[in-house]
Amino acid sequence: MMLGEITLGHYLALSTLLFLVGLAGVLLRRSLLIVMMSLELLLNAANLALVAAARFKGIPDPQVAVFFVITVAAAEVAVGLAILVAIFRLKKTTSAEDFASLKF
Amino acid sequence: MIAYAPYLILLLPLLAAVAIRLFLYPFPRIAVPVSVGACLGSFLGSLMLLNAGTPAGGMAAPAVPWIELAGLKAGFSLVADPLARLMTTTVTGVALLVHIYSLGYLAKDPCRSRFFAELSLFVFSMLGIVFADNLITMFIFWELVGLSSYLLIGFWHQRPAAGAAANKAFLVNRIGDFGFILGILGAWSLFGTISFADLPSRAASGAPFWAATAVGLGLLCGCLGKSAQLPLHVWLPDSMEGPTPVSSLLHAATMVVAGVYMLIRVLPILELSWVTMNTIAWIGAVMTLLPALIACQQNDIKRILAYSTLSEIAYMVMAVGLNIPGPGMYHLVTHAFFKCLLFLAAGSAIHGCHEEQDIWKMGGLRKRMPFTFLVTWVGTLALAAIPPFSGFWSKDAIFAATYDRPGLAACSMAAGFFTSFFMLRMILVAFGGKPRSEGATHAHEGPPAMVVPMLCLAVLSVLGGILPISDFLGMKPDHPHHAWTLWLSLLLAVAGFFPAYHLYQGAMQDPLRVPILQAKFYVDEFYQRGLVAMQDGLGRLADAFEGWVVRGFLVRGSGVAARVAGQGLRLVQCGQVQLYAAVFILGALGVVGWLLGRVSS
Amino acid sequence: MEQFFFWSLAVGLLAAATSVVTLRNPVTNAVCLVVTLVFQAALFITLEATFLAAVQVIVYAGAVMVLFLFVIMLLDVKAEARRPISWPKVAAVLVGAAAVVAGVPKLVAAFPAAREPLRWSAQSSTFGAKELGALLFTSYAPLFLATGVLLLVATIGVVVLCRRDPGS
Repeated sequence: MMLGEITLGHYLALSTLLFLVGLAGVLLRRSLLIVMMSLELLLNAANLALVAAARFKGIPDPQVAVFFVITVAAAEVAVGLAILVAIFRLKKTTSAEDFASLKF
Repeated sequence: MIAYAPYLILLLPLLAAVAIRLFLYPFPRIAVPVSVGACLGSFLGSLMLLNAGTPAGGMAAPAVPWIELAGLKAGFSLVADPLARLMTTTVTGVALLVHIYSLGYLAKDPCRSRFFAELSLFVFSMLGIVFADNLITMFIFWELVGLSSYLLIGFWHQRPAAGAAANKAFLVNRIGDFGFILGILGAWSLFGTISFADLPSRAASGAPFWAATAVGLGLLCGCLGKSAQLPLHVWLPDSMEGPTPVSSLLHAATMVVAGVYMLIRVLPILELSWVTMNTIAWIGAVMTLLPALIACQQNDIKRILAYSTLSEIAYMVMAVGLNIPGPGMYHLVTHAFFKCLLFLAAGSAIHGCHEEQDIWKMGGLRKRMPFTFLVTWVGTLALAAIPPFSGFWSKDAIFAATYDRPGLAACSMAAGFFTSFFMLRMILVAFGGKPRSEGATHAHEGPPAMVVPMLCLAVLSVLGGILPISDFLGMKPDHPHHAWTLWLSLLLAVAGFFPAYHLYQGAMQDPLRVPILQAKFYVDEFYQRGLVAMQDGLGRLADAFEGWVVRGFLVRGSGVAARVAGQGLRLVQCGQVQLYAAVFILGALGVVGWLLGRVSS
Repeated sequence: MEQFFFWSLAVGLLAAATSVVTLRNPVTNAVCLVVTLVFQAALFITLEATFLAAVQVIVYAGAVMVLFLFVIMLLDVKAEARRPISWPKVAAVLVGAAAVVAGVPKLVAAFPAAREPLRWSAQSSTFGAKELGALLFTSYAPLFLATGVLLLVATIGVVVLCRRDPGS
């Protein structure tokens, strides 16, 4: 497998691994900035799988989906960072641990 | 052209009612003449219709298609056969006189726009019943007269008694109407038609005896409610809380006889079962006697007349039960004249005595209101069936049919005796002797608007006997007259005057005290104790069910359950957004795992 | 060729991604993320998605990352203080990673299509701006419009969120 031909499975496996790395970042890092970066990794992992699928099937539609994902990701980053800035103004910190006002 | 006359007659009062309600309400000076004018128009139309010859094949106004279901076809059509024409003329004629009378009676009432609007609505509804050519249409107008009766009884809604009486009338009528609609559905399923034109031929082809009996009794139920017969008679005396013109028009002359009119319409169905016919005849016979007894001990002038109305309607019901619709209709028409007259005269006396209704607080009106006194006597003689007044001829025709039914004859002739008794008692107490209250001392005759209608009705009450009503209707020939029924009934009617004269001439208080009659045979008490108590018990049971099971357990219980669950789940909240994310991921992984498991298997 | 590019890019991608997640200084993290995105773009090229590769570099590595850097500078976020290493956590992560490395090939192998080789130029399936544009403005036109609305809403939202109260 290592030295064999590159298959769709290779790309899917890479996508999965990238996703898991991003997931670990989302779950384990305290800084909300890093968490948002890890979220970008998650989206990219999905994009990679989509593009591989488009290549495999020979159709352009998944690539359009990737296009939309990138657009939405841009919007998400903008809003997310704006929230982050607002929160920072309020609490002077970006650590996720310090935001526990939902705790009962 | 004449074919459209029924529509004109029917819709004029409706137009007046709608116009008054929508536009003319604040202007009684315009609203009242509009209502009276509409009634006059209807009356003239009725006269025209009455005089028009009957073309071959009957005469029905053009139909408007309305309900057309499989097996049920009810066009909105008006029937103008002799029966309807006679009834229309009677209704509009009496209604016109009562309208005119009301001009004087309610001249100072600030709400007279409303009164006349409701009166017009009533005339419309009543004419609807008369013209209806099928049971469904009739039922709709039947309910409409119930509504206008409710509105008019409660016209003085400031009085709690009026509101209660209106409610009572409405509710008691509901019971009868329930039976009526069952009867209509029964007739439809049994004969496949609800049209009066088709019923005789369908009924003639026969039907199962007990089914026909059930249908007939159902229809009879409607009559018992509307015409206030046993056991649903309790609302009529209470309905006297309404203004006197209302009592006169609705609760004596027209509306309450709608039940009789309906019975005559469906007579082909009733005839199928001797059980139904005998039930009707016996209810009628008993109801001639009981109210006449009760009336002997009543002190409210309008209630006395109300009980006598019950008794007189019972004569018509008995006539239907004896299968002599001609005399029944005959009595209906003459009764409309003389009973309306009596009520108007009573209203005149009440008006003259400043709204005093207790005959023991009147007295001496003979001198102060001689005209009212005179017309009361005319009405009384007609009511007591003294020749040559109109009541004699119509009642005699009914008595003649009882010649081979001694039970019925005994009841109805005894009722004649008591009728004479209580009517003379009323006259002697109210009009004779000396004034017994401040109001009676200053009594005076009403304005011409009140006098003229009474005069017209008095003339009709005297001469009504010469109307060839049975011939006009073309119904079954009357029974041959039997001398003994005539003489016996006449004898009893005259005999009733003597004890009344002896007891009440110059009496200052009632020398007779019969508790059971004063309490009206305890029927109201029986309903109160039995039915109302049972209903209250059921209500309390339902309330307890609602309170404990619905409100306590289901509503509050589910609320409490949700709150407890929420309080429990709040403990899970740690506020750490990443922990939430982890849980979310685990859930997503679970879903993915489940999908993979499904794909691989 | 395919093997060389794939393996080198894959290793680079994962290494950069791991640095994004593990390093402490936010500026370094951001730069590593840029590197990750560029590697991703290169992988898109190996999959013959040239237009997307360009978009990836321009929009993501360019615009989005500039946004990140702006915010980092604006907030003046310091490197996170190093915490005492929690050995159970480390052990858990290592175990998890081992399980993942062992499990992912099996997971992927569950798809029968995963064994199909992807050779360069085996099919003529290069989709450029023309093809994607044609799709975007025909079949996906409603979605495209909706995305426009979404971006507008996001812009307004950002403005509202970051506005300082005039009073304060």
